Amino acid sequence: MAATAVSDPLAELLPRIAAGDRAALRQLYQATSSKLFGVCLRILSNRDESEDVLQEVYLTIWRRADRFEASRASVMTWISTIARNRAIDRLRARGPLAYAEQVDELEIADDAPRAEALLEAAQSGEALGKCLSELDERTEKVIRTAFFEGVTYEALAQRMETPLGTVKSWIRRGLLKLKGCLEQ
Amino acid sequence: MSEPLDELPADEALAAEHALGVLSAPERAQAELRMAREPAFAAHVEAWAARLAPMLDALPAVTAPEGLWPRIERALPANDNGSAATRLWRGLAMGSMALAAASVAALVVLANRPPTVIAPQAPPSAGELLNARLDTSGGQHLFVAAYDPVRQKLIVTSLVTPGSDPVHVHELWLIPADGKPHSLGLIAPGTSKSMPMPEGLEKLAQEGASIAVSVEKPDAPKHDRPMGPVAAIGKLAKI
Repeated sequence: MAATAVSDPLAELLPRIAAGDRAALRQLYQATSSKLFGVCLRILSNRDESEDVLQEVYLTIWRRADRFEASRASVMTWISTIARNRAIDRLRARGPLAYAEQVDELEIADDAPRAEALLEAAQSGEALGKCLSELDERTEKVIRTAFFEGVTYEALAQRMETPLGTVKSWIRRGLLKLKGCLEQ
Repeated sequence: MSEPLDELPADEALAAEHALGVLSAPERAQAELRMAREPAFAAHVEAWAARLAPMLDALPAVTAPEGLWPRIERALPANDNGSAATRLWRGLAMGSMALAAASVAALVVLANRPPTVIAPQAPPSAGELLNARLDTSGGQHLFVAAYDPVRQKLIVTSLVTPGSDPVHVHELWLIPADGKPHSLGLIAPGTSKSMPMPEGLEKLAQEGASIAVSVEKPDAPKHDRPMGPVAAIGKLAKI
C-alpha cells in the first residue's frame, strides 16, 4: 500500500464507478479481486462464503464509491478494509459457537502464514510488519488475531483465560507502541 | 514526542479498537453512530484502519472463481436500487401514466435483464396498468410486478440477492378473488421476467388479485398450490 501513495492508478476508477460506469467497476474487479478474495479466504477459511462476501464487497464499492477520498487512503487500503469488515461480519454471524470451535485451530493455523508474512514484510521493509514484530510476541499475536478474526475483547479474554482488563491493557499498549513506531 | 504517553487518548483508543475489531456489537454500533456524527472521531478510525491495513497486504492473492463477475454484474442494479425501487414506487404513487410507463421500463433496467426482456413498446392505454409490490411479513419489498391487462403481459422483478438461497426456488402465484392459487412459474433471484398471462387466467388478473412468491424445493412434485412458505405477497392495484 505504501507503493500506491505516490500515484494510485486505481484512484481514477472510483469517480467513474460512482457515476455508474460498470466498465470501471469491472476494471477494478480485474485488478483487485484476487487480492480481496485472498483476504476473505484468510478470514473465513471457506470458499463459498468468501465468494458471497466478495460479491457483497463489490456491490458495496459500487454503492459507496462516491465516499472514497483519495486524500485519506489508497484505493487498495479502502477496498481491503471493506473486504475485511464484510468477512468479519460474516464470521460473527456464524455465532459464538463458531468462535469456540476455532480456538484450537487458531494456534496452529496462525503460525505458518504469520512467519511467512513477517519475513515478507521484513524483506520489503514494510513498516507495519516491522513494527508489529517489535512488539512482544503475545501482544503481536493478540493484535493479529483480533484483526483477522474480529474477535472481541471478551472472546479474546475467554480464549486466553485471562482477565478482560489485562487483555485490554495489552492491546491498548500494543496499539500505542505501534503508532509510535509507525511515526518514526 | 517529548513526553511519551503511556496510553492513547480515550477517543483515539476507542477509534483504534473499533478499527481493530475488538469492540462488542453494541459498542461497535455506538462507534459507527459516532463516526456519522463526529468527523474527528471518524478520521481517527480511518487513520487506524489505514495503519492496520498493510497486514492484509501480506496475504496471498487467490484468483476469484470465474463466474463471480457475471454474478456481481447481474446483481448491480437490483442491489443499487433498494433505493431506486423506493423511488419507483414513490413515483407510481403520484399517479401519472407517463411515470407508470417509465416505471415499467425502469423495472426492466432495474434487473439488468439479458436481451430476452420484452419491454412494452408503447404506454398502455390510460388507467389500465396494474402494479403490485410483494412484501415480506417484515415489510421488505422482495419483488415488484407490473401487469398490462391490454397486452395481458406480466413483468416481475426479483430484488432477492442472487445466491442468497441456493437450495430453494421461487415460484410465482396469481391468487384471484376466489383464493385459488395459480402457478405462474419460477423466477430466479435478482432477475426479472416478462411473461404472457397464461390462458384462462387473464380474467382473474384484476385489481385486488394477489401476486405471491413461495419458496419451494427444486425437486418438489407438481403442486397446484404453494407447498413451501409464501415469502412475499402483494395486491395488484391501479396506479
